[in-house]
Amino acid sequence: MGNQIQTANSTMQKRLALGLSAAILLSGMGMAQQRGGTLTVGLGYDIDTLNVYSTGFLGDVQATVAEGLVAPNEKAEYVPVLATRVPTIQNGGIKVAADNKSMVVTYQLRPGVKWSDGKPFTSADVKFTWETVKDPKFIAESKDGTEDISSISTPNDLTVVVNYKRVAPDFKSTLFTFGILPKHTLEGKDLNTDNYNQMPLGTGPFKVTQYVKGQFVVLDRNPFYWRKDKAGVQLPYLDKMIFKIIPDSNTLVTQLKSGEIQMATSVPYSQIPQLSAQAGLKVIKNPVLSWQHLDFNLKGPAALRDINVRKAVAHGLDRATISKALGGYPIPIDTVVVPVFSYSSKDVPKYPYDPAKAKQLLEAAGYKAGSDGIRAKNGQRLSFKIMAQAGRSTDEDAQQVMIAQMKAIGIELKPDNKAGVALRDARYKGDYDLYYAGWITSADPSYGVFYSTKGVNNGQGYSNPKVDALLATADSSLDPAVRNKALRDFQTVLMQDLPTIPVTSNPSMIVLTDKLGGFVSNPTNMTNFINTSGWYMKK
Amino acid sequence: MSLSYIFKRLLGMIPLLLGVSLILFGVLHLAPGGPLDVYADNPSVTQEALEQMKRAFGLDQPLPVQYFRWVTAFFQGEWGFSIRTAQPVMEEVLSRVPATLMLSGSAFFLALIVALPLGILSATRRYTGVDYFITLMSFLGISMPVFWLALMLQLLFAVQWRLLPSAGMQTIGDGSLLDILRHLALPVFILAFASVAGWSRYMRSSMVEILNQDYIRTARAKGVSARRVTYSHAFRNALIPVVTVVALDSAAILSGAVITETIFAWPGLGRLFIDSMNGRDYPVLMALLMVGSFALVVSNLVADLAYSLIDPRIRYD
Repeated sequence: MGNQIQTANSTMQKRLALGLSAAILLSGMGMAQQRGGTLTVGLGYDIDTLNVYSTGFLGDVQATVAEGLVAPNEKAEYVPVLATRVPTIQNGGIKVAADNKSMVVTYQLRPGVKWSDGKPFTSADVKFTWETVKDPKFIAESKDGTEDISSISTPNDLTVVVNYKRVAPDFKSTLFTFGILPKHTLEGKDLNTDNYNQMPLGTGPFKVTQYVKGQFVVLDRNPFYWRKDKAGVQLPYLDKMIFKIIPDSNTLVTQLKSGEIQMATSVPYSQIPQLSAQAGLKVIKNPVLSWQHLDFNLKGPAALRDINVRKAVAHGLDRATISKALGGYPIPIDTVVVPVFSYSSKDVPKYPYDPAKAKQLLEAAGYKAGSDGIRAKNGQRLSFKIMAQAGRSTDEDAQQVMIAQMKAIGIELKPDNKAGVALRDARYKGDYDLYYAGWITSADPSYGVFYSTKGVNNGQGYSNPKVDALLATADSSLDPAVRNKALRDFQTVLMQDLPTIPVTSNPSMIVLTDKLGGFVSNPTNMTNFINTSGWYMKK
Repeated sequence: MSLSYIFKRLLGMIPLLLGVSLILFGVLHLAPGGPLDVYADNPSVTQEALEQMKRAFGLDQPLPVQYFRWVTAFFQGEWGFSIRTAQPVMEEVLSRVPATLMLSGSAFFLALIVALPLGILSATRRYTGVDYFITLMSFLGISMPVFWLALMLQLLFAVQWRLLPSAGMQTIGDGSLLDILRHLALPVFILAFASVAGWSRYMRSSMVEILNQDYIRTARAKGVSARRVTYSHAFRNALIPVVTVVALDSAAILSGAVITETIFAWPGLGRLFIDSMNGRDYPVLMALLMVGSFALVVSNLVADLAYSLIDPRIRYD
């Protein structure tokens, strides 16, 4: 069960586009980095495929091999990788049609980049990537963005002109950010079954030299890597990286303690205390672009359409206690936009923990406590089902705390946990009263899918024309000022309506040897490994 | 026991396995969830993409059609492609067989050569300190959770003393025989420990029962040495019920040791099963379950054949 959850979770995290931090170049300034050495990383899941477009998992290993044109850094801001700049309207990289219905994005590619087999990287590879991923015959997990593109032209080897069918401000969070496929080895092949899935070829700092299924992947330095450090030293610093597959989290911890692995990401909260005490290891708390939320089904019990009931629930929730129950790592939040984003608003209506106020709100709305302590009005008891993903222990623990806290203000919650298709069905169709879960977004999120009237993930029946308009503006504007304003206003309206209560943002825990230098965590979690070229081992 | 008997038994396996496959297929598909669930929590996988994947994997067909397709392909040696990895199922399964055989096979034989003598010793020294000690250890072995014992041994041998690796099958870049043996030590011990505990109890009680029989008393009365009574008169007869248990357990060699393989990051069939289960990878699951069922049926046959070897009075026609 645990693994399955990890899978579902990581699939979402995979959405978070690959991150490359500008900080790699800064982090080591002033000290000479050691070249050489091997870093062994423990992976808590078994790799399905090393093709970044078809894996259902994190792109941990893939990120060291495949590079995209751009990638988000530790602040979730896009920086150029294989492109020389991030296209914007200001730098002329984006041209919006006069009717505002389509746009053209032009990428200038970095000259001198080679695939790890020594062949040059060109604009043809970029076009090939779009064609291949779009091909209906290719069974891919991530085809986002392919349908938005009408055509791609390549006037020369280093210029890619992408014609979009719509104005798509989220164009950076898909397709070319995940990675570019090599045309010269893949052309005419069936990518569903090609050996590329075991031995991907990329432009990244490392190349796969050995992949033993179910056991490990060995990556060697890519001798043709394009990046050099400030002193002109050819990157990467490390000779080798090894990813060892260790599905059991207890064993992962044992391997960290015994020194058999030197790094693990997404270590369960419960394992952190014993590892922080271990000499030679350090623990990094990495904020990820996720938030836990308690949704009300507005198509469900009538009482949930009463704003006073929703406000009472919000005031009755003690986020600090929930965080404490999960080891103290989750960060209480007041809005659905996580604090990593610059447009996360602090001016939203807030609902601090105040059980007295919660009771008072319910009392004023006419809900009187019955003999069992549960409030009721006109014979309707405040008794609801609360759904969470079955088997996801952090969510189930938080759910228990919430049930207890609601009981204290006279609301009865009964757990109704579901898994797999049953959960998805219930979520889309709104077959629940309350739903507690987490969303993770890309570095360029579209909140319309969750909260606009027609949003594909809006199963709760929330609808507010004001929110629809604000989100439509945010999803179709390329002007950062316009987007920020729309998203900030959206948060205010959303928190006034309170169809959902933002609870916590749950960081991921990274444990690594204190000998590793140059490491910068990335809020996009799995993309921690995009930074590997600047990592080095202190002697 | 004739060759034609064995042939008949083998022939009889086909309808049996067909029946088993029908049930397994039904149960797997009745279970909630499907292979596309990995996308369930992903807000950006569109409904069209899901439909397309469904068609590509043939999941849009009615269940009987899916089953019929699977069965015909399976008997033609075409086991399909893994939904999780897109690799041929046959390749996926075969790549895990050596690791499983190495681990479960070693544990099986180790357990066998330890359990039988222990059981006999326990039976012949009934109600002595030796018997009580062996009994105590057996109950420990039966009741101790595998994962807990494994964790403790990992902590002792890998973290405290740094004598053995805590998990994995080989040191990356080494992979010599000695290296693999070092990696095998802990998981084999853990696996064997549980089997020894169970089997030695069977051996003991079977032995105790036989030793109370009249013919044993007669043999003793006739002055046959205690050793001879134990090993030639009692042992062979006591072995029959034990063989049944051991033979049926031996089917587990091919099913893999799920918990042990997971804890020790051992790349065997048991772990492949868990990963495929989590991904609802029907083609791989079906193949693994069929391999397991086949092993069970075959080990049943082997058990029957072993009876007639041990006790010539048992004859099959």
